[in-house]
Amino acid sequence: MSEHVVETRGLSKSYGDFKALDDLSIYVDRGQILGFIGPNGAGKTTTIKILVGLSRPTSGSAFISGVNCSENASKIKRLVGYMPDRFGSYDNMRVHEYLDFFGAIFGINRRERRKRIADVMELTETTYMQDKFVESLSHGMQQRVGIARTLLHDPEVLILDEPANGLDPKARIDMRQLLLRLAAEGKTLIVTSHILPELARICDTVAIVSGGKTRAFGPLDEVMRSLCPLRSYEVQLVVPEQMGQAETILRKILRESEPLTVSTAERVLRFPTVRSEDELAKVLQGLVAGNILISQFREVASDLEDAFLSISAPGLSKA
Amino acid sequence: MSFLENPILRRELFSRLRSPKTFMAIVSVAVLSSLLVLLRWPTDATVDLVSQGALQVFRPVAFALAVALMMLIPAFPATALVSERRRGTLALMLNSPTTPWQIYIGKFSGNVVLAFVILSVSLPALAACYAMGGISMVDHLGPLMLVLLGMAIQYTAVGLWVSSIVNTSDAGLRWTYAAVLALAVLSIGPTIFVGKLSGVNSLLAHWATAVSPISALQSITGSQAQASEIGISTAWPDFLGASLVITIVLSVITVMRLDPRRLERARPAGKVIGRTKPTNRYAGWLRRVSYLVDPQRAKSNIPWWLNPVMVKEFRTRKFGRLHWLIRLISVSGVFSLLLTVVAATGTVSWGVERIAPTMVLLQVALLLLLGPCLGANLIASEVESGGWELLRASPISPLRIMIGKLMSTVWTLLLMLLATLPGYIVMGYIQPAMSGQVGNVVISLVIAVFMVTTMSACISAFCRTTAVATATSYAVLLTLFAGTLLIWVARGKPFGPLFVERALLLNPAAAALAEMKTPGFEPYRLTPDGWYLGIEISIFCLIALTLRIWQMTRPK
Repeated sequence: MSEHVVETRGLSKSYGDFKALDDLSIYVDRGQILGFIGPNGAGKTTTIKILVGLSRPTSGSAFISGVNCSENASKIKRLVGYMPDRFGSYDNMRVHEYLDFFGAIFGINRRERRKRIADVMELTETTYMQDKFVESLSHGMQQRVGIARTLLHDPEVLILDEPANGLDPKARIDMRQLLLRLAAEGKTLIVTSHILPELARICDTVAIVSGGKTRAFGPLDEVMRSLCPLRSYEVQLVVPEQMGQAETILRKILRESEPLTVSTAERVLRFPTVRSEDELAKVLQGLVAGNILISQFREVASDLEDAFLSISAPGLSKA
Repeated sequence: MSFLENPILRRELFSRLRSPKTFMAIVSVAVLSSLLVLLRWPTDATVDLVSQGALQVFRPVAFALAVALMMLIPAFPATALVSERRRGTLALMLNSPTTPWQIYIGKFSGNVVLAFVILSVSLPALAACYAMGGISMVDHLGPLMLVLLGMAIQYTAVGLWVSSIVNTSDAGLRWTYAAVLALAVLSIGPTIFVGKLSGVNSLLAHWATAVSPISALQSITGSQAQASEIGISTAWPDFLGASLVITIVLSVITVMRLDPRRLERARPAGKVIGRTKPTNRYAGWLRRVSYLVDPQRAKSNIPWWLNPVMVKEFRTRKFGRLHWLIRLISVSGVFSLLLTVVAATGTVSWGVERIAPTMVLLQVALLLLLGPCLGANLIASEVESGGWELLRASPISPLRIMIGKLMSTVWTLLLMLLATLPGYIVMGYIQPAMSGQVGNVVISLVIAVFMVTTMSACISAFCRTTAVATATSYAVLLTLFAGTLLIWVARGKPFGPLFVERALLLNPAAAALAEMKTPGFEPYRLTPDGWYLGIEISIFCLIALTLRIWQMTRPK
């Protein structure tokens, strides 16, 4: 029996000769948010479909709250709230009727359903749109209603496929806050997104998949450290005329593995490095000794996007 | 930009000609027309001086081509504009230097050229009729081609007009076929039902009749006697004139609708009453009276004893909402009573024997109009909208999904049939001896409801898009219901009585007509064997549907 709320063990799925998933092992604990990242066709949707009982693995197993996803699909459906990347709209149906229908097919009795609908609409701040027709809602509104729908049967785990896709900045902030609120209430969330900075702000754990394999998995900080060992530094000068002199000094101090990039327009020199803080202090000392007037000497924080790019497209890495 | 350089025309034409559906349509018309000539070809060696033999070959070919055009031509324009609008490509085209008229002409002429291609494959069959002698270019073949062309342009204009109004492709198909049916069949209603008219009424009835190709085809194929018997006597030039007027008017309206500002539609406000106190008591009361059941009233939660999928199906259909159902049922009830009153009061020289088959045919027409689009929507639209994935992710069983979906269609169609019962009851009162027959007619129609529902739902489960499911359902059910009646029309020659009877067994409407002793149906004993066959077909479709739904819901 698994101790984690969600766990996959050596999950593989093949469609003929094509291997969509290859030995995927990840886990998520209660109240945590897992950011599930990967390029298109990486195997994210396949994993999600196995977790929600819509697909069977070729080998390996997946568990939610100790229940095997492929052996007990009907039980899994009550444990999981699934929001696919398509909303699933119906014509001529108001938001209240839409939620009522999904509550009914989850077998929630009428009285309880009425209360649950009111609760989830309040939680997702959709009460004001209860009489609107679902097909007339904006994308952001539909995403909110989609989350309200997944919460109706009070699932332990929420699996959200691209919930921030197509949302404007305000709606993205609202969505982020909503997901954090749900995690704080004890829900376990698995979220896929292509908007990686968004994901980085809410995730406790990340899993990066590519070509059906797990490329990185673990707490966000650890993954970042393992995938982006090079720290990126930038030096900003006060006087543009000193750019050439600063470049000469830095080239003398830096090694070949620390390529220097010069941006004259910005008055900035950048270099990646694995040096310790003491060694970096010596670099700064060298510049000051050369009478270079420096306005900033700082580390540029690498983000999830760098980590993702270092795996999916190494040549495109921002660092 | 010259006509042939119109990019819309080129795209429409090439994409249509490359489509396997077009290929199937062309092959079907070629096979149908050739088969009819082969079947009707005279076997006696005598010289046919009055050209009756040639006419007997020519007549079914002409009508079959008209029916084929009626079924095939509206399908493409019905979805042409609405699908572009939903994909967002219409806005792109309207934002380019292409004018709305160029877009319209491109789409319109693409479809008319396609109609030419479809008609061209029937030329060998028509040439065979010509070779028999007695069929002339001036009196028969030329006018027939002109009438068929008139139908093509009229139905293309209707399809494009409907497509510019509706919001979904399947609604486009549904309303286009309804409009075509109204133009082709219902337009002759005033002349038939009201009888001889005079003055302006007569002129209006004449032009209403001219809209339909039936009278024109009757005059071309030498069946004027049958046409005048039911009171229609318009010539083919009248039909061409009427088609041209309809085409021009609808084209102008459609092009006016292709204005980007008019395509902008405000989102429905989603106003409901019942959550707050009404501001105006009288307005609420008036609305309740006019709608009987207020469409803006907040709906209650789904009770435990109702299948939620069934309730959802009713709520998501515009005409599934209670206020619309009540209207539909009321219209059906009033119409059937009117027909019976006409028979009873002797306004026309028809008795119950004539009114009963008319009622059966009208009921079957309504069944065929509503049934396929309701049934075809059941699974395909759910898959298309993404709702199927959500149903799969819920704990509801496949059996409950299927029952909910089927019952939503069966109830609608049964309620519609139920509404016409008063007409039959009055008929039984006028002629008490008919009570038993009326019972059998009702059984036949109920079986027809189950056949239409299960067949169209089964087709829907195997199609990826609603538009394809709707078009396929209409084609299959029209072939079954109208095709078997065409075989009945060709009874005696070339089809023998046994073959006709076996074909009619497939058609519950024919069983109902035979029960009513409709002229021409008296020799056939279609009950109870026709009922059993109908039930067997329904069960077969139900099994196929169950297996398909099970396959679609299980983890893959």
